[in-house]
Amino acid sequence: MKAYSQIEGDGGSGVAEQIADLESAIARRLAGVRHIVAIGSGKGGVGKSTLTRQLGAVLVAEGKRVGILDADMNGPSQAQLGGVRDVPPLPGEEGLLVPVSRDGIKILSVGSLLAEGEALAWPSASPRHTHVWRATRELSKLAELLSAVHWGPLDFLLVDLPPGPERTAQFADFLGPEAAVLLVSIPSALARGVVARSVSALAPLPNRLLGHVENMSGYACAGCGTVRPLFPESRDASDLALPCLGRIPFDPQLAALSDEGRAITEIPDAGPVAAALAEVARNLIASFEELP
Amino acid sequence: MKFLCVPCDTPMRMRATQESEPGSLAVVYSCPACGYEMAMLTNQHETDMVRSLGVRIGPAAAAAIANPGMPSGMMASFAAGAGETPAGKCPFAAMLGGSTQPEAAAAATPSGPAWTAGALERLEAIPEMVRPMARAGIEMVARENGQALIDEEVLAAARSRFGM
Repeated sequence: MKAYSQIEGDGGSGVAEQIADLESAIARRLAGVRHIVAIGSGKGGVGKSTLTRQLGAVLVAEGKRVGILDADMNGPSQAQLGGVRDVPPLPGEEGLLVPVSRDGIKILSVGSLLAEGEALAWPSASPRHTHVWRATRELSKLAELLSAVHWGPLDFLLVDLPPGPERTAQFADFLGPEAAVLLVSIPSALARGVVARSVSALAPLPNRLLGHVENMSGYACAGCGTVRPLFPESRDASDLALPCLGRIPFDPQLAALSDEGRAITEIPDAGPVAAALAEVARNLIASFEELP
Repeated sequence: MKFLCVPCDTPMRMRATQESEPGSLAVVYSCPACGYEMAMLTNQHETDMVRSLGVRIGPAAAAAIANPGMPSGMMASFAAGAGETPAGKCPFAAMLGGSTQPEAAAAATPSGPAWTAGALERLEAIPEMVRPMARAGIEMVARENGQALIDEEVLAAARSRFGM
């Protein structure tokens, strides 16, 4: 009796061929992207999405062409942060065109497809078992979108990852070995512990781990202009054994701007936060320039 | 997955796919040597496994992606506007190559502007998941511009209107 490998083709199902075609289409679509940077943490609520959007704005100010892929399909926020919630993706002459923020960032986010407060539905043939295949479905849907988007030439495609150390590794694997990973932490032992788990989860993968950014690194007081500790046990994150690309203080002004879908670069004198983001952007650019 | 006709030691060929009953997919294979036929009937979990891969089973599967992950409310309201309810659409339509129903996006909304074949082709070339939003935006621009027919010019106007 013939073995599997002795039979040519798949008998007509076309499944393997479709998956290969999809992967080829994604590779073609991303061919004009110089650097893919997946921004994750493992920990939720540390400001990944806001950092992603505002880092994108600072990179644009540095003359870079930037796109943002919101990979958090269940908690998408980049459409709101980019001020493109009401802008639909449209068919273009070379593929799907995604909304563009006022400062010029191309943004692909499920948030552009959902009404306020609406969640994605994942219908299942087996009721009460939607959880079994859900992650696979999310990734196949994301792959479908990625295979269609005409990004054009980009210097940076920032990918806003969902929380969860295992998910961080899963998305890094999905994006391929060329995607670098930047982790976001906050100065708390709890958050650092989760980020450390992400580092462990990423270790077997070939993806380059750029380092981490410490977010909410103190409180930028608008009154006196100083930065004061935000967490009671603030201390350095050297236990992560990762390069630190910068420390960004918490600033209510940044939160307000982000809620309005505006970029920090729109503010002429944005203070310590702007300076910290600029430092992260410079270090990020430098980390790629160091490559042979 | 491949199927082998044991008596003939010949790979079987897919002949047809269809929904056998809610939650189950029937894939019929035949042996090109002896003509023997068999059907693989999936259970709900196997159906979900195929669906999760985002592929269609069978020939003519170009650009074929299963349809989970729809914005529920918006999709429902759009589909209703297009004269097709989610419940009325074959749940396997996006999984069965070569035997799919027309996409919802291909139908004209009863009260909306008409679409040229070329414009519709462009709309259908983008992922199903984003079509309702794209369609709504384009039709809005057509109405703003007093256009009763959506063609390439209206698509270009929509791109311009939304800053693309």
